[in-house]
Amino acid sequence: MIAAMSLGLSSIHRLSRLGFVPFTALVVLFAAVSGAAGLPRLVSLNPSLTAIVERLGAAEALVGVDDYSAQITPALADRPRVGGLFDPSLEAVMALRPDRVLLVAGLEQESHAKALRQLGLEVEVFENERYEQVLANIERIGRLVGREGPAAERIGAIRALRAAVERATHGRPQPRTVIVLDRSPLYLVGAETFLDELLRAVGAVNLGAEVARGYPRGSLEWLVAAGPELVLDLSPQAELAAEAERDEAASASAGALAFWARWPSLPAVKTRRVLALDATRVSLPGPDLDRALRELAVAVHGAGIEAAIERELARREAP
Amino acid sequence: MIRLTPARLFAVLGGMTVVLVVIVLSALATGPAPLSLAEVFGALVLGEGSDATRDIVLGVRLPRVALGLLVGAALATAGAVFQALLRNPLADPYVLGVSGGAALAGIAVLALGSVVALPTQSVPLAAFVGGIVATGLLYWVSGGRGGSGPTGLLLTGVVFNAVASAGIVFLASVAGFFEGSRIFLWLIGQLSAVEIDAAGLVAASVALGLTVACVLARSLNLLALGDESASELGVPVDSHRRALLLATSLMVGGAVSVSGLIGFVGLIVPHALRLVIGSDHRLLVPATAITGAGFLVLSDTLARSLIEGRELPVGAVTALLGGPLFILLLRRSQSRSRLP
Amino acid sequence: MKRAAQPAEVLGETLRFEAVAASRGGRPLLHGIDFEVRPGEIVGLAGRNGAGKTTLLQLANGLLAPTAGRVLLGDTPVRDLGRRAVARRIALVPQDLHVPFPFRVGELVLMGRAPHQPLVGLDGEQDVARTISALARLGIEDLADRSVETLSGGERQLVLFARALVQDPGLLLLDEPTAFLDLKHRLEVLREVRRFAASGRSALVVSHDLTLAARACDRLVLIGEGEVVAVGPPEQVLTPANLKRAFAIDAQVAPGPDGRLVVLPMLGPGESESS
Repeated sequence: MIAAMSLGLSSIHRLSRLGFVPFTALVVLFAAVSGAAGLPRLVSLNPSLTAIVERLGAAEALVGVDDYSAQITPALADRPRVGGLFDPSLEAVMALRPDRVLLVAGLEQESHAKALRQLGLEVEVFENERYEQVLANIERIGRLVGREGPAAERIGAIRALRAAVERATHGRPQPRTVIVLDRSPLYLVGAETFLDELLRAVGAVNLGAEVARGYPRGSLEWLVAAGPELVLDLSPQAELAAEAERDEAASASAGALAFWARWPSLPAVKTRRVLALDATRVSLPGPDLDRALRELAVAVHGAGIEAAIERELARREAP
Repeated sequence: MIRLTPARLFAVLGGMTVVLVVIVLSALATGPAPLSLAEVFGALVLGEGSDATRDIVLGVRLPRVALGLLVGAALATAGAVFQALLRNPLADPYVLGVSGGAALAGIAVLALGSVVALPTQSVPLAAFVGGIVATGLLYWVSGGRGGSGPTGLLLTGVVFNAVASAGIVFLASVAGFFEGSRIFLWLIGQLSAVEIDAAGLVAASVALGLTVACVLARSLNLLALGDESASELGVPVDSHRRALLLATSLMVGGAVSVSGLIGFVGLIVPHALRLVIGSDHRLLVPATAITGAGFLVLSDTLARSLIEGRELPVGAVTALLGGPLFILLLRRSQSRSRLP
Repeated sequence: MKRAAQPAEVLGETLRFEAVAASRGGRPLLHGIDFEVRPGEIVGLAGRNGAGKTTLLQLANGLLAPTAGRVLLGDTPVRDLGRRAVARRIALVPQDLHVPFPFRVGELVLMGRAPHQPLVGLDGEQDVARTISALARLGIEDLADRSVETLSGGERQLVLFARALVQDPGLLLLDEPTAFLDLKHRLEVLREVRRFAASGRSALVVSHDLTLAARACDRLVLIGEGEVVAVGPPEQVLTPANLKRAFAIDAQVAPGPDGRLVVLPMLGPGESESS
């Protein structure tokens, strides 16, 4: 009995892992609340969508969010909660009388979308696996909340930074890299994901792309045999406060290095290129991909790359 | 008359150890990276080979195999002890809900750990306490002698498991996102080289549990005949049973804290062995430990090589093997208990 | 008694019930029980179902504590002896035993040696020799390697009896030892019990078969209404009046062809023994 149940649960778990990083679903729109005249009433069921709404200055529009959104975006901690990423309470969503519910396709949320539509709610379904999809989401949410200008600005900033990073890192050595999302069990960033695209953009080789597309579960043995020159540890075990100070980041990286040093043959361990990065800042397919690009660029090429990026940005703007 | 002579004891255990060594070597030679037995042997014994080969053999495969040996020995031995004490061939720490109790307590501490910092050893210790509490409840419900009959006891276990799973799911829901997903992993047991951190504590608990079970093996023979029989033959029933239950809960708690809920090992292994080597616990207990260790390592090797590039949780493999067997045994015991 | 004149070697000790009372499940069952079992004698215990015969056996080997009075083995209350000490001096043959595991007969009988063996270890040559000879004396040596699960009720009873013999006690407690046995094996068991007593040890035997008890026992204890109805040689105990008190039946008691007593329960009501 338990066994059967657990099989079900473990598949949920796997989905959940897929879901967190490429974060998923979310919110809604809605109508005006006091002081937010003209904004739709939105319920977001996905942290990445929540973050976009908030970043575009339309936080007032959110009349309800899922638990993880509230966790990731502390500014929204006071909003009504409608449950977890995978088990939102449809009744709680209904009770908020939203104009729109925002969520991400995939996961269990497709069935929620169906149910919510049957209940007569407007549901906006997003996809956020790829880089261009995330940018499209920013634009679409900008339209939904009447913040087209800020949305275009955000998208422009991300595109500009990506271009600058690509030029700044051009010709530099391309380290063979793995991004670890969880250590036990081991989850990696695979091919056809926005993180894979970001990693390539900053001039690194994503070894995880050899394993599978998406966010595959990898074997430790494969990782040791693949011999990464750089390990980027985003796992919760390498926990890093969202607003980490520099020295905290350094100590988290020291902890990560100590862990991976169990396999001393790893080239990344020999050269001490094991870094702990904050998962929320790097792996959320939200409104701040430019920040993620910068952090990845620094992780791959060292702090010196920042000046080069700034130069490229300036050169772009100057003419 | 067939009897347990030292020669027979050593021959059986020795033979099993040889098989175990073969299983361990095969497990060490199995994996995504193609390594020959010679390379494995070189890395293992001579410290030869490339750095990467040594890391794969010593740093990836060996810890996992070692954990499998410990957990397998613990679960199988616990099964044999529970079966004797409850006089029920269907008893198993997983079926009885003892593993569930251990998991629930361990997970409670894991969830708590996301709020306050706790030392890493607190999870195995909590699992140990949870196992003891579940065992105590089981005894209390069954009236102390497994007196509620095979099915009554199983019903109790089903209820324990349902409550434990509900508690686990509840904790997973209230815990943070990552803790939540990690908690679900406990429900279907698996081995991971990463958990080797806690291996020292687990090894100690298994060693202690095994020692107690081996020392009290003759008492187990007598306790298997029932409390009254054991008492009439001079066994201090209460103290020996308490020692055995504590030792068993200790092993189960240790095993569960590093591997989650792996089912049916404690059911299959002692049962199969009784058919082959008989019921004398002086032979059965150590043989069960060796066979359980080999069985779990073998299951885990299957789990990680059945589907290329995918690792199944070993708990799924043991459940798939053990579940049907359990149904067959239950059917057999039912038809037997209908006889006058 | 007749056969119990001082044997050369006294192996047994006297088991003595002194004003013993006992309860079962909180309900008083026995009270004022006084009798003893002396070295060299076989004492039969009879009474109707539920009269407390099995309870008396449990009091005798200390599994149950009396609510009043004392049960002494020699001069020591049985409950004051450790379980192991009791097990070396008293062996109980239960009516039956459910063994849920496929132990072999030889293994089960060898377990009778447990109170004489160290905690850890295999069985010594002497333990094995005793087992083989006990099986042989009861004519069941060919069962030695059979699984206990495959035995008939009668075979199981013989095996349990063999286990008690191997235990080498001073006092044997037998609970309906012949209930499942055929006539030949009944006699074999009774002969073994007699042989056992003849070596200066003793036995307390619960039996429903009063005729058999009259033959096999030196003395009988008749239980009824929670107390001892009569104690003494069979010819004094087995009177129609006592039987009526103990069993609430009418019965005739007469000497059989060999001069020993035969108890004949009367079938219909009204066919009273008083003529």
